[in-house]
Amino acid sequence: MNAILKINGQEKTFEGGLPETLAVLLDNLHIDQATVVAEIDGRIIERKDFFRTVLAQGQAIELIRFVGGG
Amino acid sequence: MTPHVFYELKNAVVGIAGLGGLGSNVAVALTRLQVGKLILADFDSVEQSNLNRQNYFADQIGLHKVDATLTNLRRIHPQAGLLGHRVRLTPENIPVIFKDCHVIAECFDRADQKQMIVETVLTRMKDVTVVSVSGLAGYGRSNEIVTRRISDRLILVGDAITGTGPGIPLTAPRVGIAAYHQANAITEILLDERRTLLLKRSV
Repeated sequence: MNAILKINGQEKTFEGGLPETLAVLLDNLHIDQATVVAEIDGRIIERKDFFRTVLAQGQAIELIRFVGGG
Repeated sequence: MTPHVFYELKNAVVGIAGLGGLGSNVAVALTRLQVGKLILADFDSVEQSNLNRQNYFADQIGLHKVDATLTNLRRIHPQAGLLGHRVRLTPENIPVIFKDCHVIAECFDRADQKQMIVETVLTRMKDVTVVSVSGLAGYGRSNEIVTRRISDRLILVGDAITGTGPGIPLTAPRVGIAAYHQANAITEILLDERRTLLLKRSV
């Protein structure tokens, strides 16, 4: 079975299997944990829990990224 | 304004987190709109370098931003409902300071601070909508600044990519566009959505 996640509405296939946790996924995507709000299947995951949030096949993940300026 | 519109605005409470380029301008727009109460928070003082985009004046350099903003807003409407907090916002004090707000405008400068308040509002403040901004640096490309609804309680303004950095300054026109997008999104929430929400809750 393919390892697939739906990230910001787009399906992404992971050849080497799913990233183990949300933190690992963000690392793979080169996203700084300090600047992203993450939602899995409609539920907000707090930043402090990224490292222990285990990912599962087919989940819908929304990553809301912030850049500086205001 | 029609009585309905006036009533909705008069009873609205809006939080403004940060009084820099975004917050100082959002506060002006919402004061002119005569929103019932604004709760303002910042820890900083006005500096010379702020005058390129923030709603302060040369003779206010050195004043606390909260005090300078209160003065400026009262020059627009002396009877405006305003509450200022001279404080650095944290996940612990945000739910307390903005307790009565229907909507909170995220008006910070740093990306990690934006993340912090959005996460805090979404996880700890039920029924409060946060209007945040990401991607407003530089100049031109006005039409790339958009207002998007990300989820029930999160609205995101900006082009989502242009952060400040070397060679990418913050400019009054583009920051101003984002600030007024933010104020306009808040107006829409107060006038349209809140009414629907209150009706739903009373059932």
